[in-house]
Amino acid sequence: MNYALFLIISGIFINNFILSQFLGICPFLGVSKKIETALGMGIAVIFVMGIASVVTYGLNLLLVIAGIEYLRTMVFILVIAALIQILEVVLKKFMPSLYSALGVYLPLITTNCAVLGVAIMNITSLAQQSVLYAFLNGVASGAGFTIAILLLAGIREKIETSDIPKPFQGFPITLITAAIMAMSFAAFASLMF
Amino acid sequence: MDILLPVVILTSLATVFAVVIVFVNKKLAVQDDPKVEEILSLLPSANCGVCGKAGCADLARSLVEGKAKIEDCPSCSAQSKAKIAKILGGDIAKFEDTLVICACCGGNACDDKYEYQGYGDCASIELIAGGRKACSNGCIGQGKCNRLCPYDAIQIIDGVAYIDNTEDSKCRQCGICITNCPKKIMKRIPAKAEIYIACSSCYKGKDVRSMCKKGCIACGLCAKICPQSAITMKGNLPIIDYDKCNACGDCLAKCPTKVIRWLKHD
Repeated sequence: MNYALFLIISGIFINNFILSQFLGICPFLGVSKKIETALGMGIAVIFVMGIASVVTYGLNLLLVIAGIEYLRTMVFILVIAALIQILEVVLKKFMPSLYSALGVYLPLITTNCAVLGVAIMNITSLAQQSVLYAFLNGVASGAGFTIAILLLAGIREKIETSDIPKPFQGFPITLITAAIMAMSFAAFASLMF
Repeated sequence: MDILLPVVILTSLATVFAVVIVFVNKKLAVQDDPKVEEILSLLPSANCGVCGKAGCADLARSLVEGKAKIEDCPSCSAQSKAKIAKILGGDIAKFEDTLVICACCGGNACDDKYEYQGYGDCASIELIAGGRKACSNGCIGQGKCNRLCPYDAIQIIDGVAYIDNTEDSKCRQCGICITNCPKKIMKRIPAKAEIYIACSSCYKGKDVRSMCKKGCIACGLCAKICPQSAITMKGNLPIIDYDKCNACGDCLAKCPTKVIRWLKHD
């Protein structure tokens, strides 16, 4: 139980995917213009990370039995891509409201390194003990991603209306903002259990 | 032989996923409303966005859901509108059609204030002293409209934009040129119009003469002789009331600068 709590805190704050591990930077900068779209992306990532964690955990057992762990990365990419394709169709059929809410972000995640990252970390870290931990780690990491992207979207909406020197407008100021956010998140590293 | 096992496993994994995706796609395919497809094929597919929706597909969906009106699409031809109205179950309603014209014929006949060298189109030239033409209402002729037009309906002839409104006109009245022209000289007029004024200059006759050989000199002759009294002078330009105009052509014959022109033939 204690370990589950650790996984959640670690996924969201200490080992935040974007701000301390620098994975998934592309959507972090690309879809953070508005809070609304950032939230959509965040929820989609939580969703996919949770499911991908479970599936890749099971598949890894198969790879270990066959003795071909070195193909892990390739297999995981294949699985995640296929998974999202299937998920899209299933959602469209059974949950059209969620499908339209996730919209274009679901296919975007297909090639997201953060999802691959969580799948690989699940089996290299302590989360490999059980599939439940893997799932928890996936969801917590997704939540960390969502919090980071939401924070940045909020700041960017404010930046939009402020007086910024011309050379800094657009991506430069966003990158500087992200850097300061990453520095402040580094403080979480000193959290002790 | 070590390579065999991984190859087999990966291939079988890929095959399994392929089969599952095909199966899921087949089994769980969501049938879109066939009306949407049908309406989409009748819309111009230019995705110009004038209707306020995210493209033609979105408009088609909104039409079926009753969230939009077909009048919102100015680019759609009258026949297509009638067909769409039929699909939607409504009557073949009458839609007010419009035409888009370029209300300037100056071009090379209009003097330049300066010579522009550099990047950009009409919009960037407009920023420098209100454009390079002496007439502040004159077509700059750098072809911003020409480049933006999704239907390739605008030509630049002798330094002035021209929209061919004859039978085989490519113009679908989407109005992208109207919103993007820095001089605001692209204008929408009723489709029943036969003549138009190819000038937007609000200057007095003498001033027009000094800078443009083709512009309207505001003599008011057309307003005086029009048998239908469809023309009135306002702000040094004639205004045509298209409800009254019967296309007799008297004004065209009398106009000293030939700035009143036939719309649908030369």
